[in-house]
Amino acid sequence: MRIDTLKVVAVLCVAFVTIGGQSFESKVAQLLHDEADDLKCFVEGKKDLTCFWEEELERKNSHDRYTFIYSYEKEKSRTCDVSTLSLLASNRTVFLCKLPQILFFAVLHVQVLHDGRMLYNRSLNVENVLFLDPPRNLTVVSSGKEGQLNVSWLPPLLKYIDDSMIYEVRYAVEGSHMGKVEEIKASTKLILRGLQPGTRFKVWVRIKPDGVAYDGYWSAWTEPVFGATPPRDMDPLIVLLVLAIALILFILCVTVILSHHKFLLKKVWPDIPTPEHKFPGLLTVYEGDFKEWMRQNNGNMWGRSAHIYTEELPSPLEVLSEISLASHANSQIEERRTLEEEEEKTESEGTDSGITGSWQEPPQAHWFMEQLRALQENPQSFSQSMLLESPDTYVTLNQNSQRARAEDDSQVDDICDESLPLQTLFSSSGTSSLSASRSDLGSLQQSSGSGRLSSQSSFEYPNHTWPSNRPGYTYMAVADSGVSMDYSPMSSSRIEDLGKRVIYTNEYKNEIFGHKWAISGQC
Amino acid sequence: MVFVWLCGHPVSPLRPICDLRVLDHFVREARDSEVIMRGCRGGCGVMNSYFVPLTSVDFAVLEQIDGQAEEVQTGLSLLVQALSAARNTVSSSPLISTLDNNISNMHSLSQILYSLHLQQGRSTALSDDSASMSIQTQEVSTLPELLQVQSSFLRGKVRLLFSAAPACQKRNR
Repeated sequence: MRIDTLKVVAVLCVAFVTIGGQSFESKVAQLLHDEADDLKCFVEGKKDLTCFWEEELERKNSHDRYTFIYSYEKEKSRTCDVSTLSLLASNRTVFLCKLPQILFFAVLHVQVLHDGRMLYNRSLNVENVLFLDPPRNLTVVSSGKEGQLNVSWLPPLLKYIDDSMIYEVRYAVEGSHMGKVEEIKASTKLILRGLQPGTRFKVWVRIKPDGVAYDGYWSAWTEPVFGATPPRDMDPLIVLLVLAIALILFILCVTVILSHHKFLLKKVWPDIPTPEHKFPGLLTVYEGDFKEWMRQNNGNMWGRSAHIYTEELPSPLEVLSEISLASHANSQIEERRTLEEEEEKTESEGTDSGITGSWQEPPQAHWFMEQLRALQENPQSFSQSMLLESPDTYVTLNQNSQRARAEDDSQVDDICDESLPLQTLFSSSGTSSLSASRSDLGSLQQSSGSGRLSSQSSFEYPNHTWPSNRPGYTYMAVADSGVSMDYSPMSSSRIEDLGKRVIYTNEYKNEIFGHKWAISGQC
Repeated sequence: MVFVWLCGHPVSPLRPICDLRVLDHFVREARDSEVIMRGCRGGCGVMNSYFVPLTSVDFAVLEQIDGQAEEVQTGLSLLVQALSAARNTVSSSPLISTLDNNISNMHSLSQILYSLHLQQGRSTALSDDSASMSIQTQEVSTLPELLQVQSSFLRGKVRLLFSAAPACQKRNR
C-alpha cells in the first residue's frame, strides 16, 4: 500500500517536472546566474527541496561518482540520488538532487562528495530558500476613473505561507521599454494611479517571501497582461466655465452691435442719396414723373422761386396806373425793359432788400403818383372796360405776405394762392402774358417787410370780379410783373368786408388813394 | 478595594489577538538577538545545557491544531527557562538587554495564545510516535544555538498556530 503510494507520488513528480519543466529549468537557470554558492538549493513548495551544482565538462558523465548526503539537526544522515539536467537555453549541464521529505524551521546540512572527497558543504534552513511560481490569473481592468487601472492576481497555493508574501507589479506603456515598479505586501490587488489617459499598458507581477517567517528568491515575471486606461474626460467644471465665458462674450458683442447698429449700418450699407427732400411728393405721389410733378407744382415753383428770390434777389417793381394803362402801354413796355436792366444790375450786386425795405423807387414815380391822384379824384372815370382793355397782367400786393413768410407752409400756401395758373383778365393776351408774367415774376425783385410782395397775378381774377362800385380801394396794377399795390389805408378791413377771399393787403398806406378796387383772388 | 471589586466582577475573557504583525515583531527581535550574538566579543555566556523545544515543521503531517497549542505553550515555557539561565551567564550589556527583551516577548506570546482559547480542548497526539503529551525537546549547549532555536520556534510553530487558530479564522472571513 505504501509502495503503491510512493509510486503514484513519483509519477506525479515526474509529470510535474515534465509539465513544469520549463519553469523548473528557468529557475535553475536563474539561480545559476544569481546564486553565489556553488551548491544551490531551492524549494518550490512545501514538499521537495532541490539542490544542484554545475561541474566541468569532463565530469559531465560522472554523475554516479557523486554522493549527496543531507541531515537535519540532531538527526541521522541520509543520501540522495544524483541526476543530471541539461539546460537547453544555455547549453549547460547541472547535477541535482531532490530531497523527498523536508522539514521547515530546522537546520539542514548537505554535502556533496566526489569519489569520496568532500566537494561542497552547506547548512541552510529550507524556509529561507523559497523559489515560488509566478502569481496566477493576473487581471488588468479599467477602474472607470481617469488614469487608473485595477490589477489583481491570485496568491500561490501554499497554505500557511500565502500571508507572508510580497509582490512586485511592473507596468509600462505598450511598446515602451521604460516601466515603473510598485511593491505591495500581504495583498493581491493594486490600483495603478497617475497613468496616461487613453493609453494601453502592459503589466507584470512576481512574488517573493517577505523575509520575516519565510525568505527566498523573486519568482519569474508573469506573462504580460494588457489594459487600457479610459480616455480623458473634460472636467465638467472646466466645460461650464468655458461655456459661461463664451456666452458672456457673445452677449457683449450683441450689445455693442445693437447699440451702434445705426453707425455700423451706415458704414456697411450706406443709404443711397435721394432728392426726396428737395422734391416732396415726386417719388411717393407722382412716382418719379417729373413732368407731372412740375405741372402740379407749377405755382409752388413760382412761389418758391419767388420766395427764394424774396430772400435773395430783390426785384424792382413797376407800378402803372390803370387809368392811363392804355395810353401808356407802350411806355410801360419801355419802362419794363428799363426795369429789367435794373434788375439785372441789382441781381449782380446780390443785395437782399427784403427786410430793410430798401425800396427802389421806379423812375416814373412822380408820374405815377400823379396818375393815382387823378384816379382818386375821379374814381368814376375808372371803368372796368379800361382795365379789361389792358392786355397786361396785374398782381396784388398784400401785407399778409410778411406773416406768411414766417411759415413755410403758409407762405407756400400764400404763394400757391396767388401763383396759381394765371388766368388772363384779357383773353386776347392771356397765355402769352401769363408766360411773360411768369418769367417776369421769376425775375421779380421784391422786398420783404412792409413792402412784402406776393406773386398773385391778376390773371387769377375773373373779369367780372372787378367791382366798379367799391369805393375806398385803389390798386396799382403792374403790367409785366403782375404785382399790384394797395395804397389804401383801410385796405385790410375793407377787404374783409367784401366778404371775398382777398388774401393780401399791402401795408403801404397812402392817404392819397381813397378808392380801391376789390380784387378777389381765388385759387 | 480593587481586588474585591475584581472578585465581585468576573473578568471578561481576553479578546483574540490575531494580528500577525505582533508576532512578526517578536520574530524580528529574535533575529536581532542572533545578529547581536554573532557580534559579541566578550562576556557572551558560557556553555551550558539548555533543553529547548523542537522547531521543525513537516507540512505533510501538520493537520491537527489541538496538539500544537499545548506544544507551543510548553515550548515557550522551555525557552523562557533557557533564556533566563543563559542571561545569568552573560555580562555583555547589549546581549543582556536583548535577552531580557526576548524573555518578555515569550511571556507576551503566552498571553496572546491564551487569548486564542486554544487550550480549552484536549490536545491529541500529532503522530503515533509521540510517547506522551509532553513535547519533544532537544538539548543545546551554547547561547547562539539557543537564540537560533528561539527564532525558528517563533517563525514556525508559533506562527502556524496563530494562522490556523479558529478564532482568527472566523474574524478573517
